[in-house]
Amino acid sequence: MPAETHVERTPFSRDEVIALIRDQLGEILEIDPDSVELTSAFVDDLGADPMALFEFVEALEGELGERSVGFHIDDEDMQELTTVGDAVDYVMAKLRPASSGGPG
Amino acid sequence: MGGDKAPSEIVAGARQAMDEGLSVVLVGRPDAIGDVGDIRVVEATEVIAMDDEPGKAVRTKKDSSLVRTMELVRDGKACAAFSAGNTGAGMASALLRLGRLEGVARPAIATPIPVPGATPTLLLDAGANAECSAEWLVQFAQMGAAFSRVRFGIDNPRVGLLSIGEEETKGSPLVKDTHKLLKLTTGINFIGNVEGRDILTDDVDVVVTDGFTGNVALKTLEGAMKFLIGKVFEAIMTDDDTKAAGNVLLPALAPTADALDPDSTGGAALVGLKGLALIGHGSSSAKAVVNAVRIAHELAAAKVVDALAASVAPR
Repeated sequence: MPAETHVERTPFSRDEVIALIRDQLGEILEIDPDSVELTSAFVDDLGADPMALFEFVEALEGELGERSVGFHIDDEDMQELTTVGDAVDYVMAKLRPASSGGPG
Repeated sequence: MGGDKAPSEIVAGARQAMDEGLSVVLVGRPDAIGDVGDIRVVEATEVIAMDDEPGKAVRTKKDSSLVRTMELVRDGKACAAFSAGNTGAGMASALLRLGRLEGVARPAIATPIPVPGATPTLLLDAGANAECSAEWLVQFAQMGAAFSRVRFGIDNPRVGLLSIGEEETKGSPLVKDTHKLLKLTTGINFIGNVEGRDILTDDVDVVVTDGFTGNVALKTLEGAMKFLIGKVFEAIMTDDDTKAAGNVLLPALAPTADALDPDSTGGAALVGLKGLALIGHGSSSAKAVVNAVRIAHELAAAKVVDALAASVAPR
């Protein structure tokens, strides 16, 4: 049997992504994950400083990269993500197979 | 392999440390490091410059010496990291690669301020977090006390909150809120507010403040020292009479000058992380490097990270 060289992408549901993002923000910002709303702004509502946002992005890449090889958030894109909802939409689009037209 | 005097002074410091029997690994570009004999070199091809934006640099330059060094600590291949490079990137790489200790909201930079004739005063945060909450400052106080116990052997370190007066009614809203919380915090010896002039005295062991104020205080002290020492030497060199007086005075002043030399302190520690990381001045000399390596080994042997973790654990 040949060695495994490719891991099939396992699709995440939107709810799974929301839960993951809430958990990561809760852990990094020391806040209750349930208090994180889709409309919450990272800086203005959650008090995230630039370093916390880098921690968040690295954590997401680590978690999502385990099931979606090569998952990466571009630094330029990161600056456009203002709210939690923005991040959820971005991640879902990134996770969509290339044939269905996700970004990057 | 960062710093204004890298690689020559860094390599020289590493060599001196090895000669003292302390193990050292150098991380960087082998062609820049050169032949270092029996010192192990771990290759890292990228360089984070002093003016690179910290978080972005750490994410984009994954094969930089700073990132690779933190990974050695994370992976248990080194007991501590030391860098004289970009301070912000040092903090960012440590945070992103080592991770925060459980319960720590934000890591801080803990800088020992030399106090001639006494143990250094630990100042934190010296610049990692420009804006802080009162809860963060309480954690800095807890970690500062734990660090001071391990690093300087002080049983019950006196913790002061940097303000503009000793009275608890003085200071910014952050200082007043923090004062209230510190009074209720068990496990630390909070002695109340202190002022900037107290930092260089033996009246306090740990001075807690936000990163903006701490950095301003640190740089002001450094600038004042440099100015004062320069003026003393200028006065001594005025004429033959003052030079003759200088010949008498200088040997008496030398120990104080040495104590105030930032290269003697072994660098600042990044506290609140799941690993040990020290950062030095950009202008760190070989003396600074060997001191940092010596202290890093001592702190690792004393399990300072465990002590820091325990200091913020729920009681």
